[in-house]
Amino acid sequence: MSTRVLICDDSKIARKQLARTLPSGWDVELEYAENGQEALDLITSTAFDILFLDLNMPVKDGYQTLDALQSFTTPVPAVIVVSGDVQPQAIQRVKDMGAIAFQKKPASTEEIHELLVSLNLFSVGEQSSDNVPAVDQSSAAEEFTLNDCLQEISNIAMGRAASVLADMLNVFIKLPVPKVNILEVGELQMALDYSVKDDNCSAVSQGFVGSGIAFEALLIFNDSSFPDMAKLLGVKEQITRELEIELLMDVSSVLVGPFMTAIGKQINIDFSHSHPILLGQHVKIGDLINVKKATWKRTLAVEIVYEVENYQISCDLLLLFTEDSVSTLENLLSFLVEDDE
Amino acid sequence: MSNDAEGIADLHWMFDMLHHIDVGLAVINQNYEVQLWNSFMENHSGISSSIAKQQSLLSLFPNLDASWLRQKLDNVFALKTPIFISWEQRPALFPFNSYRPITGVADKMYQNVAIRPLSNPDGSVKHLCLVVYDVTDVASNKISLSAANHRLVRLSQAISKK
Repeated sequence: MSTRVLICDDSKIARKQLARTLPSGWDVELEYAENGQEALDLITSTAFDILFLDLNMPVKDGYQTLDALQSFTTPVPAVIVVSGDVQPQAIQRVKDMGAIAFQKKPASTEEIHELLVSLNLFSVGEQSSDNVPAVDQSSAAEEFTLNDCLQEISNIAMGRAASVLADMLNVFIKLPVPKVNILEVGELQMALDYSVKDDNCSAVSQGFVGSGIAFEALLIFNDSSFPDMAKLLGVKEQITRELEIELLMDVSSVLVGPFMTAIGKQINIDFSHSHPILLGQHVKIGDLINVKKATWKRTLAVEIVYEVENYQISCDLLLLFTEDSVSTLENLLSFLVEDDE
Repeated sequence: MSNDAEGIADLHWMFDMLHHIDVGLAVINQNYEVQLWNSFMENHSGISSSIAKQQSLLSLFPNLDASWLRQKLDNVFALKTPIFISWEQRPALFPFNSYRPITGVADKMYQNVAIRPLSNPDGSVKHLCLVVYDVTDVASNKISLSAANHRLVRLSQAISKK
């Protein structure tokens, strides 16, 4: 009897990449879900043996899914969490919630093979006689958009960055699903307005360039985050203007650096970068980017909102790509999802 | 043989370039001891490379906030990611004088400093590189611009009150 496997991830690329890493010749019936709710619905209607579960998803994320599975009275699948969020707390949390294993994303064929063998879910001898690949190759012909690709590599990079920050501060960083959009000048302003609302904010910008791709990493803090940021970094002194810059520089170094390293590794570019520049302090968001003077028309924007659990800290990381970079980026990312046989 | 000689010549001009580039370069090990000290660091600090080498960076500049800097250096070692220090948070991290003491407006050199991890072939990080940029002109311009703006705001407030 074949093993019933469910892959649950909001990213099409991640689903495909994972499906490709399953041992070839493994007799599986494979199904997919785009979020936790879909997975739960499928599991309720038919039984599955194994669930590969992502953590950051819309509608119902991985944690909520694990939580819901705990109250199931019918048999539930063995859950292997596959996530870019490699914070130690995240790994511990999912294991406490019943996941039998955690696998770092993106996973290689060897890693998945070893993991399945070590969990006794697959043995080397267990291959179907006709030795067909586990995955139906027709699924490999799916079309991927630039947004899909960019969202997935941002997702992985975001997890790495959060893990470094979590290491330094010993906290848990809540990770959202990165948003990817092409924005006109005016729309960027609106997107920013929405994320910070009417409060004052402070921002740091760092420029990156490499292999025909240019972008700015913009980190925007709501000014109400400073007291808790100081507390978190163990600063006891009075919060002065200089101290706030210090907090901004430290947090942006630690968030942006590992993020870029992870992005660079995935698309194989060693970016040159500028020193981070203080864009503004205690200003209205509208004053950060001068829309009237802007010479650019459209930008490809990746937005990630980081929040620190139990602290009033939220910051917005925006990657703003120049229009010229988009076609180069598209080209590069298409190699990433191409079949590697 | 000639290949070796060429290799050494290459190394020589590469080192010459690092030594004389107009950017401060210092490499330290895990005990914060200086391993490399280029001529920018020598000339601006007045501490020669032979004296700086093997001494702790923290003891070379007694007025520098040692516990603050140590925390930054330790973070770079532990997190293996560069950390940046802006002139806006520490105007002159190293006590250097401005390049143009006569015609310039600033006495001290404003600096941006990047602390970067240097990784060994096996990925471990046992050395750090401090890169010191002279940003005196940018800083002076920005300071005088914001001072002028400040004066304008007060002036316009004074006028509107009348």
